[in-house]
Amino acid sequence: MQRLLGPLLVTPALLVILVLFALPLAASVIGAFEVDGAAGLGNFTKAYRLYTQDIVFTALIVGLSALLVGLLSVAIGGYLTLGENPRAVALLRWLYRWPMFIPFIVVGQVLRTFLAKSGLFNTTLISLGLLDPMSATSYLDWRGIVAAFVWKQTPFVALMVSGAMASLDRSTIEAARNLGASRLRILVEIVVPQVTTTLLVGLVLSFVTMMSVLSVPLMINAQTPTMITADIAFRLNTYRDYGVANALGLISLAITGSVAWFYLRVNMRQAQ
Amino acid sequence: MGDDSYLGLQGVDAGYGRTRVLQGIDLSIGKGEFVALLGSSGCGKTTLLRAIAGFALPERGVIRVGDRDVTRLPPDRRGMAMVFQSYALWPHMSVAGNIGYGLRLKGWKRPAIAARVAEIGALLGLDGLGGRRPAELSGGQRQRVALGRALAIDPDILLLDEPLSNLDARIRLSVRHEIRALQKRLGITTIHVTHDREEAMVMADRIVILDQGRIAQLGTPEAIYTRPESAFVAAFMGAENVVRLDVVSSGGRVDIAAGPLNRAASLRLDRPAPPSGPVEARFRSEQLQLRSLDDATTADVQGIELLGTIEVVVYPGGEWRHSVRIGGASVLVDAPEAIAPGTSVLVRVPVSGLFLFSAPTASPVGGSPASTDDTAPVREKLSA
Repeated sequence: MQRLLGPLLVTPALLVILVLFALPLAASVIGAFEVDGAAGLGNFTKAYRLYTQDIVFTALIVGLSALLVGLLSVAIGGYLTLGENPRAVALLRWLYRWPMFIPFIVVGQVLRTFLAKSGLFNTTLISLGLLDPMSATSYLDWRGIVAAFVWKQTPFVALMVSGAMASLDRSTIEAARNLGASRLRILVEIVVPQVTTTLLVGLVLSFVTMMSVLSVPLMINAQTPTMITADIAFRLNTYRDYGVANALGLISLAITGSVAWFYLRVNMRQAQ
Repeated sequence: MGDDSYLGLQGVDAGYGRTRVLQGIDLSIGKGEFVALLGSSGCGKTTLLRAIAGFALPERGVIRVGDRDVTRLPPDRRGMAMVFQSYALWPHMSVAGNIGYGLRLKGWKRPAIAARVAEIGALLGLDGLGGRRPAELSGGQRQRVALGRALAIDPDILLLDEPLSNLDARIRLSVRHEIRALQKRLGITTIHVTHDREEAMVMADRIVILDQGRIAQLGTPEAIYTRPESAFVAAFMGAENVVRLDVVSSGGRVDIAAGPLNRAASLRLDRPAPPSGPVEARFRSEQLQLRSLDDATTADVQGIELLGTIEVVVYPGGEWRHSVRIGGASVLVDAPEAIAPGTSVLVRVPVSGLFLFSAPTASPVGGSPASTDDTAPVREKLSA
């Protein structure tokens, strides 16, 4: 009885994982390699033919967003850790987390009205005399998507990074200051190298999140080129083409998988 | 050190937020001097070091190096280098990277940095470790890397924040002497924060004893050990045995009437006597005479004689350590021969090892002599 109890306790959780997670995933993977009831790579050649541009566009947009998120998070975490004006630090600490609690769809909505050709961003620039009304353009293309991603994801990574920075041994920072390092050098040469692992975890998680967002590309830029998520939704809703949708899903997985692999490699190298 | 003061503090107040940790610190340190800041935790010794280093800005007062006012200068413009308690080595840099970082910041060329790092490595016995990461070093090696990093920039003043507290007891003893020898060789002005009395005694030219943010006493190790100016300093320097007595002072003489727990005594002190009234008599466990009451002859010694009963006797090595109950409290007495528990004894405290201080008026003074009933520290020491 004792020996049976362990497996018995695990079974419900295991079943949930198998039935609700592993099974659908396997079905999608198999579906990606199925063309008219026979195994083949037809879905991938079709996806490649139709959507190469979108796949590259997605990787570039999400990569660029992750890069900007990384830079901004380090800047925010760095200021929270090394800032010398207590009031500015308190204000930033209070302010920077808000976007985390706003859903992607709302971010898309907000930026759509903000970045449109006659949106608040352009009208502000025009009223300040910084932009000629005739040359005002819409930012609702890749720039809008990147802006939405960075706006939404920076707080999340900054939260992780600033937490890691706060738990550093303060005297490693003071030792550098004692020897004459400027704050920027302390950030780049002393603080960031000690929180690389946390930063990478945050960026990988962010990367995966951004890869799977549908609402932002639909709200901001649904015309070509667009992101893979919009294409998957299009294949499913318009053509009921599960094969190509599954193939596109697998391609997304491959992209996020390669990022995760990169992260694991860096981690392994650090552990050595 | 008067006129040849190199590092000087005048009326320095410092603290964190509204808590004032340091109050009116005046200190003058000569060039090449090794000064220990000694005190228990929370006494402000680290805050004082951080104020000198420039990490804590004083609210009041002036800090000078030579004739420069450095009170408001950033830490790197004071010509000081600090060794942190945790060593604060950068884990992502090699030993050579750690030691050479200060020189990199100064814009030195690579070959010059490499030469200086090698020189420091040889000085501190770190040869062949340049490529290692701090995590791959022993505690003693890390401590030397931290010291090397501070010395590499050739500072005028070296600040040590409890640099030995993370080392094994055995290594600590040898590192004390290594640091002291190195400091003498380099002639570098050094301030060393510690809570370890013996460490301060063997390393420093002068000791500053801090108590609640003020300097309790400042002097050579010998002066502080033999002539403590307050009960706090006496206790800190090991005179932890306490009995309360009533004295009558006149000039350099102190008279003590006989009581149930002490014999009459008339002492001639070589230091200022406390005013007449209740006093706190403090003495160390060493250099006392312990006799069974039966064979105690009345000797004509300058000192006081206390009557008590042996409670416990242990052998910590060297002499036997007796816990002697005198009235309400216990004192520790070392003697070459063990005396069985329960024996009535006479404890003779020679005047050279006896420190008398006016007893705090607030505390109750019992019979003569009445001891403090705070026996816990005595017991701890007994078993230590």
